[in-house]
Amino acid sequence: MAAIPREQPHIRLTSTKSQHQLSQIGTYILLTLGAAIILIPLYWMIATSLKADTKLFVLPPQIIPDPVVWSNYIDVWAIQPFTGYFLNTIFVTLLAMGGEILSCALVAYGFARFRFPGRDAIFILLLSTMMLPGIITMIPSFLIWRSLGRIDTFSPLTVGALFAWGPSYIFLLRQFFMTIPREIEEAAIIDGANVIDIFWKVMLPLVKPALLAIAVLSFNGNWNNFMGPLIYLNTPAKYPVILGLYTLAGSLSQEAPKWNYMMAMTVIMSIPILLLYFRAQKYFIEGLTVGGVKG
Amino acid sequence: MKRIPAFLAVLVLLIPLLAACGGQTTSTGSTQATLAPAAAPSGEKVKIRLATWTGVDESKELQAVVDQINTTATTFEIVLEAQPADYYTKIQTNLAGGTAADLLWLSQEYITGYAQKGVLLDITDRLATDSQPAAKLADYYPSVLQTAQYNGKTYGLPWIAQPVVLYYNPKLFADAGVAPPDENWTWDTFKDAAAALTKDTDGDGKIDQYGTAFNGWPPIQMFIWQAGGEVISEDRMTSPIDSPEALAGANFYSDIIYNPKYAATEDVIKEQGFSELAKNGKVAMFYGGAGDDLDYAHTKDPKFAELKMALVPKGPKNRSNFAWTASTVINAATKNPEQAYAALVALTEGIQHWKIVAPRKSLATAEMIAASVPQKQSSAAMILLALPDSRSFRIVPKQSDWDKAFFDEFQDPLFHKKGTATDLSKLAMPNLVAALAP
Amino acid sequence: MLQWYLSTLLDYMLAAAGIALVMFLVYTLLPRLGVKRETATGIALIMPWLLGFAIWTAYPIIASLYYSFTDYNVFQAPRWVGLDNYVRILTQDPSFWPSIKLTLLYGAISLPLGLAGALGVAMLLARNVRGTGIWRTLYYLPAVLPGVAVVLLWQWLLGTNGLFNVTLSPIYNLLGIGRPSWFTDERFVLPGLVIMSLWGVFGSNAVIMLAGLKNIPIHLYEAVDMDGGGSWTKFRHVTLPIVSPTLFYTLILGIIAAVKTFEPGLFIKLNPRTSGTFLQVLIYSNAFAGGNSKMGYASAMSWIMLVIILVLTLLTFRSSAAFVFYEGERS
Repeated sequence: MAAIPREQPHIRLTSTKSQHQLSQIGTYILLTLGAAIILIPLYWMIATSLKADTKLFVLPPQIIPDPVVWSNYIDVWAIQPFTGYFLNTIFVTLLAMGGEILSCALVAYGFARFRFPGRDAIFILLLSTMMLPGIITMIPSFLIWRSLGRIDTFSPLTVGALFAWGPSYIFLLRQFFMTIPREIEEAAIIDGANVIDIFWKVMLPLVKPALLAIAVLSFNGNWNNFMGPLIYLNTPAKYPVILGLYTLAGSLSQEAPKWNYMMAMTVIMSIPILLLYFRAQKYFIEGLTVGGVKG
Repeated sequence: MKRIPAFLAVLVLLIPLLAACGGQTTSTGSTQATLAPAAAPSGEKVKIRLATWTGVDESKELQAVVDQINTTATTFEIVLEAQPADYYTKIQTNLAGGTAADLLWLSQEYITGYAQKGVLLDITDRLATDSQPAAKLADYYPSVLQTAQYNGKTYGLPWIAQPVVLYYNPKLFADAGVAPPDENWTWDTFKDAAAALTKDTDGDGKIDQYGTAFNGWPPIQMFIWQAGGEVISEDRMTSPIDSPEALAGANFYSDIIYNPKYAATEDVIKEQGFSELAKNGKVAMFYGGAGDDLDYAHTKDPKFAELKMALVPKGPKNRSNFAWTASTVINAATKNPEQAYAALVALTEGIQHWKIVAPRKSLATAEMIAASVPQKQSSAAMILLALPDSRSFRIVPKQSDWDKAFFDEFQDPLFHKKGTATDLSKLAMPNLVAALAP
Repeated sequence: MLQWYLSTLLDYMLAAAGIALVMFLVYTLLPRLGVKRETATGIALIMPWLLGFAIWTAYPIIASLYYSFTDYNVFQAPRWVGLDNYVRILTQDPSFWPSIKLTLLYGAISLPLGLAGALGVAMLLARNVRGTGIWRTLYYLPAVLPGVAVVLLWQWLLGTNGLFNVTLSPIYNLLGIGRPSWFTDERFVLPGLVIMSLWGVFGSNAVIMLAGLKNIPIHLYEAVDMDGGGSWTKFRHVTLPIVSPTLFYTLILGIIAAVKTFEPGLFIKLNPRTSGTFLQVLIYSNAFAGGNSKMGYASAMSWIMLVIILVLTLLTFRSSAAFVFYEGERS
């Protein structure tokens, strides 16, 4: 740090206070500006979803939709079988989430608490897989599923979860496991518990915050998974919502795009994750920061 | 510890199921999901799946055709599976994954490639002994039929041969005092007329009426043919797009496209739509498919301009026009080849009575055209005149690579004035030739 | 419909059973071979990942390398072509270099801008303003939205006559330019994509930065105050050095994520030859395109992409010495 000549403390105090107030105001202004940048597009998304076809492209654009077409939300449901899409998405997300959380927790526990040769090297290997582009393993994986006869089924999208395919989740859980004092486990062993009991009844409950954080991230990741369904699913009735949206965008671009429908479906699709976010914000943020700060 | 053995017992019981679920695979990977229905015993109608790219309206019409076939068929029942989005990617993944339909619609560019890879069923022998009208290969126009053939074998039946014709707006011609197109028109007459018909009609300084509009349609190949050139030689070994004839055709085309002297610019086309320009009376001459609704749209909605049909102008060497065609093919991995074949022939006959023009000489009559699409009655004679000059593309197994090289490295830069035809033809040649190599 | 779910459920349970079986076998059999109980348990516990790595990562990577030297259209056996694919990609494919340019430029531009913005936002939030929680909730919102939602929304906003252009038309008029058609004009594709990414990425990175900032001991700032230093000094000599590991971590992940972009490339129809498209999208089209899928060619391209990511990561690690400050080292 460079040495700076000292000034008279007395004079500095007062200028600091007004400087402070000025910078406070400046802060609020900037924050509000940023908030506007965030909120305006969101507002526009909702406003567009409520517009009538003919009012989409008028210039100057309508700030407030007139007429307000609530029925867009019902009509878009009928253009494609979105109910089916939602059911598919829920099915795949639940299966994948369950598999991911359980298998990642088991693996993290293994890395956190047990010594075995090559443990640290393997862990670094695990971390390095985070940088693989999905597409490089996608082609041979596609061929594997093909020889199993499982193309155009939900299996490629869910079975893999059982193999702990989330390196960042494992990393997060391992951190949490490592913070649990060993005495707790030792006490359980003395009580005659086996590994499974310790894991299920002792360790897991103690890392609940991490589990919830991962649950949120896993839900998000699977709900919005695009590459997998795109490659593996060919029957429209099997599509998750995201592929339905893709088809909608593609088919609509043949004629004049019906942006009101697309925005409506986008809003609908975002609702689950937004609800989750508002309820469980803590866990969202937890999931990110542990990795970021301790990295 | 006690819980684990019970767990194990369950596992052991489940393992035989794994073997059953794995399924058999052939080289084309045909497998069934465990709970899918197996082939029906003889005596019952077999479900034959048909994959198409039809959108909502066209699917309805096709379904009507299919329903009629299903009522009279005894061994099969056709089930329509329309996939308007990303059709060819879906087909590819389905074929690769063994889940494709029994019958597939394929546009002309795709058949040879899949045939060469053993993906399609060879129906040459079955056709030879079949006496049904749709199976008589001699009745088909040769240049159209060869798109469904490879190495002398037939893999599908074309159900359409749509020639390109010239739609023109008589009113705009009359207003400008230009004589409408007739069978004597050449490239030069066309160009002159286009120039005369491109003008500012409301005096605001901006051109709002165009002689014609090109945007990659009509295919540039058509003009190369008319000049006596070829894009793929007959022996499929070379792409002589650098021959003087081919260059003449390419230059004629590139001179007109997006050139405000003769035609609508790219921005105008983007804003107002391509065929809409003709329908809305903004374009005086428009190369269109014989089956397009351009000449009867005004009967459905008076806001559309009345357009008439004429033959395309003559090129220096001939009046070739492009005939777009598509065929129905059979998936080689189908579980019911006999029924699939029977369905194919019946379906082809049905579609040939619905679409114009059927690619068969016996069906290329004015009555047939009028019966299929009544609104085309007045143009039927003209369509029939266009047919003999119609040609389909020559297709090679790696057609999509060839098309990509032709479009990306020759056609698109040419249209956007990024190089001369001569230079671009040299630029594109290596990749074109690579696509022709076996 | 139900039968599709059932057949997948069956696969799922079988796989789970299989993995459990392997774990159990490792747990019970290894000790019999003289391995310590703890080691055996550890290995048993990580079996799901080990199996997954072997089947779904290691094998595919090696297989992908093999395929990259072949011509493979899925229907016929792979045909060995040696380095042919690589040569063609690097010299004859008109879509490759434009796509590399787009992907890398996208990463190089959107990342630093996004990070600077995120740091700025985090610094604003770190000051004791009222309602930090609410601001944080708000700022994180774009990052929570599904990626597809963001892409569609911005496609709509950045249309030629979309809200963005209309709002900025006075500026356009001032500059004497027409409205840019952001995603259809090849000159404006990259800027359009950067704008879209900035909006979406602000939140998550800002939150990470915020956590990093909260780690800074107040006494360091106070020391600067006592020395008579101002905000810039504080920033340069306290904030930046301490936040740099977090910056670094975010930078690496961000670069990798940017290079791996996929959905935007499919929802926004980019022309691979003129504006270029994202690498993963180009690979996907080559591998799964209808009519002529070229899995060998696509595999070669994915390997090139992998090498690029490795190089980028290495470069970032190397240069980290220049700007990362770990507490306890001399600045």
